[in-house]
Amino acid sequence: MNATPNAFGRRRFLTTSLLIAGGAVLTGCAGDPLKKSGDGSTAKITLNQWYHAYGEKGTQEAVKRYALEYTKANPDVAINITWVAGEYETKLNSALLTADAPDVFEIGDFRHQMVKNGQLAPLDDILADTKAEFSKADLDVATVDGKVYGIKMIDDIMMLFYRRSLLEKAGLTPPKTYAELVDAAKKLTTGKMKGLFVGNDGIGDAGFLLGWSAGGDLIDNGKVVFNRPETVAAVGALRQLHDEKVLLLDFTTDWYDPGAISQNATAMQWCGLWAMPDIKKNIGDDFGVVPWPAFGATGRPTARLGGWYELVNAKGKHVEEAKKYLQWLWLKQTDLQQDWCVKYGFHVPPRASVAARTTEFATGPAKDAVAISQQYGKSFPNLWNSAMATAFGDAVTKIAKQKADATDALGQAAAKCQAELDKQLG
Amino acid sequence: MTLSTPTRWAGAVRASARTGRRPRPRTDRSALGAFAVLTAPMVFGLGLFKYVAIGWSLLLSLGEARGTLDPTRWVGLDNYRFLLADPGFRDSLLTVVLFTLFIVPVTFAASLALAVLVNQVRRGRAFFRTAFLVPAAVSYVAAALVWRMALFNGLPSGIANTLGGLLGLDPVPWIATQHPPLYWIVLITLRLWLQVGLYMVLFLAGLQAIPPQLYEAAAIDGASGWRMFRHITLPMLRNTSVAVLLLMTIAGFQAFDEFYNVFSGGLGGSHTAPVHPPLVYLYDIALGDQNYGLGSAGAFLLTLLIVAVTLLQGRITGLGRKD
Amino acid sequence: MIRPIRRRTVTTLATYAALGLAATAFLLPFYVMLRNALMTTRQVTSPDWQWLPDPLTFDNFTELFSDPAVPMASALGNSLLIAGVTAPVSTLLASMAGYALARIPVPGKGVVLSFILATMMIPGSVTFIPTFVVVGALGGVNTEWGIIAPGLFNAFAVLLFRNFYLRFPAEIEEAGRLDGLGYLGLYRRIALPNSTSMLAALGALSFIDSWNAFLWPLVIGQDPSSWTAQIALSTFLTAQSVNLPGLFAGAVVTIVPLAVMFLVAQRHIVQGITMSGLKD
Repeated sequence: MNATPNAFGRRRFLTTSLLIAGGAVLTGCAGDPLKKSGDGSTAKITLNQWYHAYGEKGTQEAVKRYALEYTKANPDVAINITWVAGEYETKLNSALLTADAPDVFEIGDFRHQMVKNGQLAPLDDILADTKAEFSKADLDVATVDGKVYGIKMIDDIMMLFYRRSLLEKAGLTPPKTYAELVDAAKKLTTGKMKGLFVGNDGIGDAGFLLGWSAGGDLIDNGKVVFNRPETVAAVGALRQLHDEKVLLLDFTTDWYDPGAISQNATAMQWCGLWAMPDIKKNIGDDFGVVPWPAFGATGRPTARLGGWYELVNAKGKHVEEAKKYLQWLWLKQTDLQQDWCVKYGFHVPPRASVAARTTEFATGPAKDAVAISQQYGKSFPNLWNSAMATAFGDAVTKIAKQKADATDALGQAAAKCQAELDKQLG
Repeated sequence: MTLSTPTRWAGAVRASARTGRRPRPRTDRSALGAFAVLTAPMVFGLGLFKYVAIGWSLLLSLGEARGTLDPTRWVGLDNYRFLLADPGFRDSLLTVVLFTLFIVPVTFAASLALAVLVNQVRRGRAFFRTAFLVPAAVSYVAAALVWRMALFNGLPSGIANTLGGLLGLDPVPWIATQHPPLYWIVLITLRLWLQVGLYMVLFLAGLQAIPPQLYEAAAIDGASGWRMFRHITLPMLRNTSVAVLLLMTIAGFQAFDEFYNVFSGGLGGSHTAPVHPPLVYLYDIALGDQNYGLGSAGAFLLTLLIVAVTLLQGRITGLGRKD
Repeated sequence: MIRPIRRRTVTTLATYAALGLAATAFLLPFYVMLRNALMTTRQVTSPDWQWLPDPLTFDNFTELFSDPAVPMASALGNSLLIAGVTAPVSTLLASMAGYALARIPVPGKGVVLSFILATMMIPGSVTFIPTFVVVGALGGVNTEWGIIAPGLFNAFAVLLFRNFYLRFPAEIEEAGRLDGLGYLGLYRRIALPNSTSMLAALGALSFIDSWNAFLWPLVIGQDPSSWTAQIALSTFLTAQSVNLPGLFAGAVVTIVPLAVMFLVAQRHIVQGITMSGLKD
């Protein structure tokens, strides 16, 4: 080892670390990312608003434009928009613990627990007479103890997309029962193309859909009910699709992306209305939509109704201002609502009057989608949470892929979910 | 600022050392001062970010804390009881134990084998060492991307399926197949690729410290390669091996990144992943459901498990024993 | 005489063959990543294998830096800042504590040592929820310092430095002491300058850890302006609409700076690890 002090090496090391540390302090002082004011305006109040990153081009610019318009009309209030890509809900949850929590934010699956946590402000007063314009399903999910806590901004219906030409060539009609779906998937599976895509894991929403399509449900009146025999039978039938090897698995993009059906990797795909413009661009009119088919004799078709709710943080510093902004954007500005729903992606406006004047839904598959949404749309109950989803998802995965007994697996999951549910309600 | 303090202190200490007539007590005091200055930042930082955090977490774990970090109600050991009765959490603990039991010996053998091979060659040693070491610079996120989207995707164009095709095999969905559980191949090759390099370097350092005379003497006695490995190499690497095993075990129990990034379906979440190691499970509880009490209790249970296993391992391997 | 030579040649050839095979396997993912980054989506998903993209396209890289939703350039800058602060500061702090614990005789040293080393039993990722609580309470969410601060205190590095300084030749220090240096002087003038390899090795490892950290920056950095490169990349991976070759371009961009640094610092890393005392 070199015994003479290596002065150059030491000094360089120290100077470099000092420079870097100093630089960090300086940049830290100069540019705290959160302290951006609304474009140098003279606003007294800044509302923080969160969106998850919508995939469609132009969405981020659009919400920024809406916010600027609000500030133009209300110079006292600036809106600071955070566009959150990646896992939205976990990031939102951790942000809600801090002083920099958003004042206004959206959420996909409305959570009863957030109301119980005292995190959401009731919105009945701003909703007032427009309440009648929202569907019962949309209102029910966001209602806890008679008060409404969320305003639906967009309705997203998820349904079964199929390639018209391929079904015709195989002499098939769009499936009306689960047996027909399995049969169609079998006949449409060729060397290069699989019959059906429900998700890279071969599960996706299929567990929920099968349960619903057999007339079952997840939670009913404070009780977990997906372990009832008819639901168990339906969920158990998912194994057929796996055993027949007709599902597209481990594709590059997942079910919510139109990639698989657009690139001829599958003949049928479970996907959302949002993907329709993209599918149209890629394969023209060679597609149609139907709900998830009925299971068995007593079942009925079903479709998952998702979308996003806009909420106000009850623990925020500016609850009243936030509510006013929410009312302005999602209740009063019908032009902006229409712009938001159909100019970038493709969503059904939840308000009847706005939906009525949106011409994009007058014909073709888009029209079918709206009908499916109204007739068959089903949302997760607001008591459903991440722990329950994991328990249920585990059970479905074991049944479909590891040949577990459906009654046992769903029974265990139901016990776990009931414990979760009791904790939430208790 | 942390850097300028020692400078000033050094001057003061030197001055006092020069003027002192009774050296012993003064030296002690200056030693105490120097010790305090040098260790204070570390003690303070660990105190704040580890001990305070652990204390707070302990309080949370004994309370009902949903959507808040101030427990709203004390519930005693309820959270612990709930988790221990939860088959999902028990499964996750079992998963991580099995995973660690498998990954540790495999990583150990692979990195030791590569180190021995690299140590044997004279030409190109730097090249091989670099080739094995560079993946250590890649993150789990980037590696998971390559594994999921390129090497092991289910398309015929995926690398694994292309290679399989050369052998006449049909394309396989590697991640989605659970019967047999092919996804373990994906997870394990991923971890090996990222970790083997650093451990190999550790072994390489150990190998190079073994005096060559030992081998020469053994060779004269006519010992074979395998016997030399068993009777010289392995015993001489004992301390490296013990340290490496400990690091690998702790890393195994903390598995999160590859499970999260390989199975996460983006907006769909990872609820239908075939396995959830404890950290993924707890991440869902804490940040998915905002149940911080339960999440903290789970973190303590996992910690207990890690401490127990590392202590047991120390017992078996004789860690800390001086020889 | 002929037989042993031939046997040795065979062994050497087998060794090279095994190493060559392993090296190919280890380098294959890099090649695949680069190849895919230079392709179009259609080429990537095509069932016909292409060794080299034909035609080559660099569009993925230009698109990568022009995507408004994922600020890759600023994320790379953040990662550089965070790793650039964490590596030297955490290494210096660990070396200070390691030196004190190894060379300064004071009562109660054992207590301090246990206090520091006990935190190693509790792995960092297990305490991530409570640490988040603490950093959140201090206002560190969405800030660079919130991402950096908990990573500055590394008990394992303290242990390695302690081992290293324990075996530091006493005669060198003795010379300094005769020159009138106190313990701080000895550390700064003699111990520190003679630990450059250790500093470089642990600094480089710390840089890599910090650059590649995922869970912590994911939870702390919520606003896109505080994202690190890993978060930006993970965001691409889970985004609603995936641009496949763009993802690989993103991976290349996050790996290249680190791989280059790694190649440059490799000798120091290997040397530092050799000296850390971990090996024996």
